[in-house]
Amino acid sequence: MNPAARKKALRYFFQKVVDPLGYKFTPDEELAEFCLEQEVILERRYGVPFCPCKRITANRYEDMQIVCPCIPFHREHFDAMKRCWCGLFVHKDVVDPATLKQVSEKKFRKG
Amino acid sequence: MLIEVARVADIADGGMIAVSVKGKEIVICNYEGRFYAVSRACGHLNAYLNSGTLDGYILTCPLHFAQFDITTGEALSGPVPPDPDPLHATADLKTYPVQVKADTISIDI
Repeated sequence: MNPAARKKALRYFFQKVVDPLGYKFTPDEELAEFCLEQEVILERRYGVPFCPCKRITANRYEDMQIVCPCIPFHREHFDAMKRCWCGLFVHKDVVDPATLKQVSEKKFRKG
Repeated sequence: MLIEVARVADIADGGMIAVSVKGKEIVICNYEGRFYAVSRACGHLNAYLNSGTLDGYILTCPLHFAQFDITTGEALSGPVPPDPDPLHATADLKTYPVQVKADTISIDI
């Protein structure tokens, strides 16, 4: 199977999910391609395109919350950062994703 | 050799039908008004793909969710969960040239 064709298919499906949530693919094409490439590898191994930046725990309940795009499960946290954890998706109004900072969930919960 | 298989009105946008032509089982798909013909048997374990779902140009098998690009026949992903048996590797689908004239869809076999 051709990874480029699979990346294109993932883009097609993800776009439909993230668009109504107010997100878009990051304008940083290099990062987007890198994340999608990792997801293609994870999907081949596990059958599911897990978030490439989070740990797979083998706990189904937890793991289902990191299936890309995992925005609905981490909405508050991601909305505060204006990006998802990986940076694959950013808020629609973001022009320069390099200015967005990653804030750990622990830190975010503490306020 | 062109063989008439369906009318344009038979397949709504995003829909598909199965036809049998000269002993070959084929699925005709309507993707945004363009028609594509691919083999009906899934490249994984031969499930009938016309019972699956067509989302844009991506056809998903109803049995183990392998996905295919109907425009090229290319397998985009294998079964879920992955099949550990190398004999069950997912093959690409065979594609057939389609011609639409007036309201008739024909396949070149």
